[in-house]
Amino acid sequence: MRNQNTTVNVIIDNKPYRVQKGLTILQVAEQFNIYIPTLCSHKDLSPFGGCRLCIVEVEGMRNFPTACTTPVEDGMIIRTHTAQVQSIRKEILQLFLSEHTSSCLICDEKEECKQYLGTIRKAGVTTGCRYCPKDGQCELQEVVEKLEIHEIEYPIYYRNLRVEKEDPFYDRDYNLCILCGRCVRMCQEVRLANVLAFKQRGRQTIIGPAYARTHLEAGCEFCGACVSVCPTGTLYEKARKWEGIAEREEVTTCAFCGVGCQIRLQIKGSRVIGSLPADDPLVNNGQLCVKGRFCITELVNGPARLHQPLKKFNGLEVEISWEEAVALAAEKLSRCSPEEFALLVSPNCTNEDLYLAQKFSRVVMGSNQVDTPARLFYGAALNAYLALFKKSVPLREVSRASTILCLGLDTRFGRSVVGVELRRAMHRGARVVTVHPREHSLALTAHEWIRPLPGEEEKILQFFARFSAGTAKAVPPETNLPAERLEEIARELKESPQTVILVGPEVLHYSNSAEILTAVKQLADHIRAGVLPLPTQNNLLGSLLMGTYPELLPGGYSIADRNRTNEIQKVWKKELSLRSNGWNVANLSNGKPLKVLYLIGETLPPGKKAPAEFVIFQNIYPADPSLSPDLTLPAAAFPETDGTFVNGEGRIQRVRKGVNPPGNALPDWEILCRIARKMGAKGFDFSEVREIHQEMAALVSGFRDFKHPSREARPFALDRELQLPGSRISPVNLSDRKHPFLLITAPLEHAYRGFPLSAHVEGARVIFTEEVLHMNPEDAKKARLEEGDKVVVTSEHFKKVWPVKLTPELSRGILQVNLLNNELIGPNPYPVRIRKSHV
Amino acid sequence: MNSLAEKISLARQKWLALNTGKTPIIYIGSATCGRAAGALEVLEAVRETLKKHRLKAYIMPVGCIGPCYLEPLMDIKRAGYPRICYGSVTPEKARRIIEGFLLGDDPLPELAVGHFGQKGDSSVEGIPRFFDLPMLKPQVRVVLRNCGFIDPENIDHYLANDGYQGLLRAFTMGPEAVIEEVGEAGLRGRGGAGFPTAKKWRICRNASGDRKYLICNVSEGDPGAFMNRSLIEGDPHCVMEGMLIAAYAIGASHGYIYINSEYHLAIARLKKAQEQMRAYGLLGKNILDSGFDFDITIKEGAGAFVCGEETALIGSIEGRRGMPRSRPPFPAVSGLFGKPTVINNVETLGTLPNILRNGAAWYRQFGVKGNYGTKTFSLVGSIRRGGLIEVPLGIKLREIIFDIGGGSWKKFKGVQTGGPSGGCLSEEFLDLPVEYESMAAAGSIMGSGGMIVLDEDTCAVDLALYFLHFTQKESCGKCSPCRVGTWHMVTILEKITRGQALAEDLSQLQILAETVKRASLCGLGQTAPNPVLTTLRYFRAEYLAHIKEKYCSAAVCKELVEYSIDPEKCNGCQQCVAVCPTDAIKGARAEVHRIDQYRCIKCKACYEICRYDPLAANAIIISSRRGVA
Repeated sequence: MRNQNTTVNVIIDNKPYRVQKGLTILQVAEQFNIYIPTLCSHKDLSPFGGCRLCIVEVEGMRNFPTACTTPVEDGMIIRTHTAQVQSIRKEILQLFLSEHTSSCLICDEKEECKQYLGTIRKAGVTTGCRYCPKDGQCELQEVVEKLEIHEIEYPIYYRNLRVEKEDPFYDRDYNLCILCGRCVRMCQEVRLANVLAFKQRGRQTIIGPAYARTHLEAGCEFCGACVSVCPTGTLYEKARKWEGIAEREEVTTCAFCGVGCQIRLQIKGSRVIGSLPADDPLVNNGQLCVKGRFCITELVNGPARLHQPLKKFNGLEVEISWEEAVALAAEKLSRCSPEEFALLVSPNCTNEDLYLAQKFSRVVMGSNQVDTPARLFYGAALNAYLALFKKSVPLREVSRASTILCLGLDTRFGRSVVGVELRRAMHRGARVVTVHPREHSLALTAHEWIRPLPGEEEKILQFFARFSAGTAKAVPPETNLPAERLEEIARELKESPQTVILVGPEVLHYSNSAEILTAVKQLADHIRAGVLPLPTQNNLLGSLLMGTYPELLPGGYSIADRNRTNEIQKVWKKELSLRSNGWNVANLSNGKPLKVLYLIGETLPPGKKAPAEFVIFQNIYPADPSLSPDLTLPAAAFPETDGTFVNGEGRIQRVRKGVNPPGNALPDWEILCRIARKMGAKGFDFSEVREIHQEMAALVSGFRDFKHPSREARPFALDRELQLPGSRISPVNLSDRKHPFLLITAPLEHAYRGFPLSAHVEGARVIFTEEVLHMNPEDAKKARLEEGDKVVVTSEHFKKVWPVKLTPELSRGILQVNLLNNELIGPNPYPVRIRKSHV
Repeated sequence: MNSLAEKISLARQKWLALNTGKTPIIYIGSATCGRAAGALEVLEAVRETLKKHRLKAYIMPVGCIGPCYLEPLMDIKRAGYPRICYGSVTPEKARRIIEGFLLGDDPLPELAVGHFGQKGDSSVEGIPRFFDLPMLKPQVRVVLRNCGFIDPENIDHYLANDGYQGLLRAFTMGPEAVIEEVGEAGLRGRGGAGFPTAKKWRICRNASGDRKYLICNVSEGDPGAFMNRSLIEGDPHCVMEGMLIAAYAIGASHGYIYINSEYHLAIARLKKAQEQMRAYGLLGKNILDSGFDFDITIKEGAGAFVCGEETALIGSIEGRRGMPRSRPPFPAVSGLFGKPTVINNVETLGTLPNILRNGAAWYRQFGVKGNYGTKTFSLVGSIRRGGLIEVPLGIKLREIIFDIGGGSWKKFKGVQTGGPSGGCLSEEFLDLPVEYESMAAAGSIMGSGGMIVLDEDTCAVDLALYFLHFTQKESCGKCSPCRVGTWHMVTILEKITRGQALAEDLSQLQILAETVKRASLCGLGQTAPNPVLTTLRYFRAEYLAHIKEKYCSAAVCKELVEYSIDPEKCNGCQQCVAVCPTDAIKGARAEVHRIDQYRCIKCKACYEICRYDPLAANAIIISSRRGVA
């Protein structure tokens, strides 16, 4: 029974309704399926009242109020379809159409032309206008049909605006724009990004970033939220421009970083044609970043995808059948002793794939030489980083926090959903402090931006930690901020009722990263703050839980744990003689060469010869030619497989298969099963992922229901430390006169299964710049360098050549390179000197 | 409060001493209108002359007193004489007047406009009383009472002239009684819509909110309107006092003055006034020990016409694009930063001190039932006596145009009230009383006070096109009826002025105008078709003449006129030959010239020179000939 106070009685088109108070007329009409045309209203956005199509008659109100902005009141008598209202609507719609291309809307040939387009003919087709990709999904078309407009009585003026294609990911044809303002409201109200705005006045009114900047220059995050709400074909995703309407959707988890956003894969036939955010209240809340929104389609549909197993034969790659491939692999593997075998598996794989990979290594090969490249990525900071997960809090905590400290976090492209949460928290009154050496997405919005020299974050965090511990001697370090301000911030952190510390990736590659992260942990302990590390590898925690490390067993237990080993032996029905022999990914061959190196979703640094006689390369794209694997096995990408991921918050999330892998490619688990069976191993008779999940759930706590995992955020604690990769390069003197610049070498951040997104996604090439030398324009000017010039960078340890990119975000004296591999990761930052290359 | 009372009595003493002392006072009308006419040069000449003759005088720059057509105005008050006003003063004239009057004791009646003394004052024989002049006689000065009489930059002058007395009375009455009093006075919004001020206040006062705002709307954008600017330039404190009264009544703690950034002088005067108020304890915390806190921020607008619309104005202050939003909620309930907000026009606020000081009954003596009080207008266009006027509501248009304004230069054709949002009323409406309802019924609006008088040289279609062009360019673009509809109206009007329109275009224009009026989001769009609708109604014959006969009776529409030379008049001076940019005029010296119609681009250069050059004989005729469709 509804409360009298919360409902009102209204009469719509002579019928009485009892409706909830506070709703608008339009919302009520939608509730009762009364059609009122509208183009500017949208469920996620505030009422606008701009298109004027939803005007209705309300007794006692002046003029014609718009249904989308007028709240219902008790006793309202509303008429939605009087002759007068309809005629004004038609007039308004005609006004819209008089500046909009309209052949797809009111052309007589409309029906026929679609039919005839299918014919094959050599002569030019005279009908079938195809200038708008929104045909069939266009809301304007729908309204034109509903209002039965057959002709436009006004002269039609094509605005003749240039179609804007200069920005990555989506095109903008403002000739089709009806200025409904949905994109602007989306950008301003929901994303709080304020990149889009109305510009100019009168008939010149147009939408875009202010001051004629491109979206890239204006700070657009390319989240695509504006594209999703555009009712016309104005904003359109480049990658799916002519794909048409999706036939079905599948909700899955994005695999491009540890946030673990829920996405709705858009599927047509056997193709993924797009990805949209799912309204998941736990993680991404209806938002996505550029990677999840725009990169999946191109990555999955790349023309270079592997379709068939390949064998190296006389230096050529030859397609072979699966039987042949499995037999070849089995033959090579069966001749391997445990020490002569090594398996590297990507933390981008599902838990089930990871579990099976280590089981394969331990059961079939009897070898403990299984690892992931995460060890190289985190380097010396690995254990300190993993320790942070003990204090981890869910992302939702950000909205409840009173103070948020961000460390090495740039939310512009990757993790922009975290950026939205931060901005929302700020709107709610939270204070945000960011620590970052370069200008970044939070630099403008955060309340405080502490800008240390690269690596000096350590001093700042140690100061905060000491201050909050009440240590007598807490002297603020020298930064861009005066000492008093730093002290104020420290006090704020100490006194804030609820603090969350976000740890981004740009603090993990310094020589002193471990110290920085330890200081973070200390600070968090002192001020009882929650920490949220935002790992780069989407299933980092999963890989630890699955035990794809030589030191770890499934469940994340130590290999030395006899009880666990016994339990596992029972499940696997196999005697294990596992011990850690000091092998890991950092010293692959461990002195003597390997016979077989099995790479699942991983690749080795380019130009490096694999230290193995036989290399099996199992991935979605072909390997770098320098690796030249002996056997290449085509695998499935995450939209093509079932399974689970564990995101950075410790949530178990479902991965659902949307489409089949291309050609004869197979999911990783199935390939592993086939080879194991071929080798006569027992315990690999899985026919679907659920069965693997059940076996794994018996060993790893928290996992049970495959169909509906618990999805609870859980802090993650490891009972032992992992062995750190020894650095080949020892830390160096920072005040080195001969090397005036400091070079930061950042490891590959935006990648999937070892492939940088920029290699296979056109737009990613523009926003993710790898293997270029970022340099402050002032420095470049002084060194007489221009964008694109080749520069020789010399340090005590290496000499490299990179092209220059002018990046005003960097401080003077700082250089940065985002590497394609983890080779130069070591004692960051490097003191270097530069000179122009004349080659 | 003692300190203000002391300051007031001191100010009164000084004022009295100034006005009765031996030192002559020289008033220079130096508001923007005066400055444009050369007031600053006059001021310079006055200073020089005084210096030259070692004369002592108190020079008082004052605001606009009204008759802008006589600017620059200079008044002199010297002992033994009432104040005398001189018009159209040049530096040369100023010298003569000072030398004649101050040195020679001759008030120079031939140069004087009027005096401010008693009737029959013998010292000023031959000079009419200023307020008995035909332009001033029908006027009532309530809001403008201080304009032209006090130094707008001197708060003491304002205080000496009963300044802030209204506020003091308001404080003794309490907010509820203030609203009551203003309601009793029948004051309606002077921004043009005429919403009862007290009613608006009451809604805001009753609305819940931890903070309330008051906004003074000085976004004066109508072409040909300058009432608000003149008021602020002439008497900024009366607006400030009005703001204090209004804020006190509604319970606002902060006020904004939203003013066009191009109003440099007005802004400077407001800022000065603000400083003085602070120094006198009239702004800030606990004003005059009343427990009332109030402060004012001056916000300079970037000049968009639409920012005069209240929701767009609020957006602009908030730092967003000036773009109207749908109402409800009305600003009085949820306005600036989501808080209850009252937006009042400058003139509304400027009226308040007078109502509070003299009482509602006093105010109700002006105007007529339902339309009490006075209204300022800027009387411009083809009018003999243009300027800033203030009249009681209910006055007839005829009285304004013919009695005050002295009629149009050529044959009267119509009057456009309310700027681009208003309508064009024809001769038959001359006896229409100037009231909110009657103006609306005639298809126009009262508006904020622009009144443009048109004579037979104005083409009704061209006029409508001008205003539509303006509104089209100023449309914010949010809603399509306004953005696209006004543009189609412009194109149809253009077609008509070019003689290319068909009869159907007229009906389409009518439908469009109705659609835009009814379907637009905000006042700008809803009123934008008024110029078209009214001219279609009252000057339909002109539209038809353009369409059917390709005839523009005012000879304005370029495509429909022809330039010719009156052979009777032409003296063959060759001035026009020299200025013609296309060599379309041929003719030897002292022979009648001819115009090559093919080459003529109708730039009007020859017409201007022939009309105004002393050598020429005003022989060029621009005419439109009736043709057949």
